[in-house]
Amino acid sequence: MTENEMEIELKEPLVPVEEYLAAGVHIGTQQKSKDMKKFIYRVRGDGLYILDIRETDERIKTVAKFLSQYEPPKILVVTSRQYGQYPAKKFAESIGGMAVTGRFIPGLLTNQNLPRYIEPEVVVVTDPIGDAQVIKEAVQSGIPIVALCDTNNMTSFVDLVIPTNNKGRKALSMIYYLLTREMLRLRGISTSLTSEDFETEL
Amino acid sequence: MSNKKCTSCNAPLAEEGATEFGCPACQYHIQRCYRCREQSIPYTCPKCGFGGP
Repeated sequence: MTENEMEIELKEPLVPVEEYLAAGVHIGTQQKSKDMKKFIYRVRGDGLYILDIRETDERIKTVAKFLSQYEPPKILVVTSRQYGQYPAKKFAESIGGMAVTGRFIPGLLTNQNLPRYIEPEVVVVTDPIGDAQVIKEAVQSGIPIVALCDTNNMTSFVDLVIPTNNKGRKALSMIYYLLTREMLRLRGISTSLTSEDFETEL
Repeated sequence: MSNKKCTSCNAPLAEEGATEFGCPACQYHIQRCYRCREQSIPYTCPKCGFGGP
């Protein structure tokens, strides 16, 4: 953590800046994409691109508000990434949505003959690269897509981006925890959950 | 042909792959065509000015 990163001040943040930094939410990758350029704060000496936490904080609030427009059982959370599986399941369970973790069976959103066929109204993906199949099917079905995007992600077919580190264990648990807390707050429900409750055990 | 038009490019939403959703900030109806979604062309809410994606 450098002095520069500590200087960032947020207006009414969901959690203090230090907690964001401790979870590594701002740590990007050594690649940047044109789509994610506007969310990048600076580049570190070792070549890592750093995301702007102000944007992340703002987008979490926006996405929570956006998802609140939908009936909870119609919200689908998808992740194929190992560290995203537990936080995604916990998020879905807490808000009353659906979760598909691990391998996404092709046709789940498009093949009505599949026994596990589902018809969500909005999809939340953890990584647009790893979860390309669900994005493809959501596009075919005309479903809006919310995605957690890192500095190296393209935002093709994504309708709403949350700029964040989508690879770290603590970062993913922090994002899903904040989304859960914010959505429950909008419904007028207080929660005793903490970001540790969303962390995948090592 | 439908009367719905893309919020970004104003093209009619005729083809598969288009989507509609409420603006994340003000719930105003936003429509995006396949091309704008594929190329990640930014959209702006005509009512509140929210910019996405």
